[in-house]
Amino acid sequence: MAKDYIQTDITSVQQPVEQANGLANAHYIDPATFAEESEAVLKSTWAGLAVGADVPNLGDAKPIQFLGMPLLLIRDKDGELRVFENICRHRGMQLLREAKTIEGAIRCPYHSWCYSTKGRLVSTPHVGGAGHNTHPSIVKDDLGLNEVRSYIWRDVVFINISGDAPEFTEVHADLIARWSEFDSPLYHGGADSRFELELAANYKLAVENYCESYHLPWVHPGLNSYSRLEDHYNIVEYGKFSGQGTRVYRQFKAEDGSAAFPDFPDLSEKWDEGAEYITVYPNVLLGVQRDHAFTIVLEPKAHNKTVEHIHLYYASDDTLAKNRAVNTRQWKEVFEEDIFVVEGMQSGRHAPTFDGGRFSPVMDEPTHCYHDWVAGRIAQHRG
Amino acid sequence: MDVALDDLILTAHAEDDRAALVTLYSRAADLAEDVDTECFFLTYAHIFALELNHPSQANLRARLVAYGRE
Repeated sequence: MAKDYIQTDITSVQQPVEQANGLANAHYIDPATFAEESEAVLKSTWAGLAVGADVPNLGDAKPIQFLGMPLLLIRDKDGELRVFENICRHRGMQLLREAKTIEGAIRCPYHSWCYSTKGRLVSTPHVGGAGHNTHPSIVKDDLGLNEVRSYIWRDVVFINISGDAPEFTEVHADLIARWSEFDSPLYHGGADSRFELELAANYKLAVENYCESYHLPWVHPGLNSYSRLEDHYNIVEYGKFSGQGTRVYRQFKAEDGSAAFPDFPDLSEKWDEGAEYITVYPNVLLGVQRDHAFTIVLEPKAHNKTVEHIHLYYASDDTLAKNRAVNTRQWKEVFEEDIFVVEGMQSGRHAPTFDGGRFSPVMDEPTHCYHDWVAGRIAQHRG
Repeated sequence: MDVALDDLILTAHAEDDRAALVTLYSRAADLAEDVDTECFFLTYAHIFALELNHPSQANLRARLVAYGRE
């Protein structure tokens, strides 16, 4: 079948970092290329959709659009998180238009077919005629909500739209092992510990910027006094993940100079002043530090539009709101400093002779690692 | 249906008062003079009870099941 777009050349991306170019402009500015790429990169892998804290209580349900697909994140009556297509199996009607707590069943607003919070079809009123609520051809066990494969790690709800990716724990085994010391309960700070930033940019640019420390002294000069460029190191695992680490992390301090938040339990000395910031490909940015962690789920709204959903987590559910608020504000300032960069790179992708650019072999390898992974997914998708 | 009850049901719909709808449709079912009418109203009461996790849902369902309607 003829394609309505020209496939990009990805061979120059999959070169050693010394020779490689970045992904071509079309991956950032062309909707058709973005659509092809999304099949390879966002739908056939484990993409971040949301966090468990979005639905903290039993029965909480939140409709979410992901790449145009209507999805429903729900915490069932036993506390288990699930993702369904947000449509009734009857006539494809959207079930929920806004977040709510399901008290009993999910009732379709069209003909009132009802589903349990586990997705089971439980009633089909008048389906066999007025007051006749069964019909031999409508088998409830066959008509539960369509579930989307999901996995929860560090409270992030990852989904595999294609349904055929290897298990999450297999794909991300190395990263899970790397951060095994942080495998302890996470407590979302609540309403004061979440915010969103809108970017007029492709989500990959946010990843690319997050992966490397090269930009820190220029874009975040406030870090220079205590977290210098040479205090950072690259994290590069080709085909898996990338990011950066620091050796001079300072605990967040309260007004009186004491530690504001308790540490995650049983951390080794490495984390006394160590912290790491890694991208879980394709679209989740994570940070771990001794006293708090954060998650950024990048929502790809379009090829040139992204929403960053940012959440801060602590080792305890007993932290002071005033300390959390200051911490949130400080991180927000840092992340806002990055906006002009990713939006500037998005604008730059309209320069017709830009060839994807080059990478510093020393400083940009985490970013190249991500490009190489994206290119590899696309190559596999193209067959 | 009783006119007053009909008005109450319409008002409950207008106010999206689903707990009231469970009660009112149940009353309509109780007042029905034939099984089809009873099951028609029971269906509404049961659906809204299901949605609300209303304590009467099991009883409403049992009545429909007894008539082979659920």
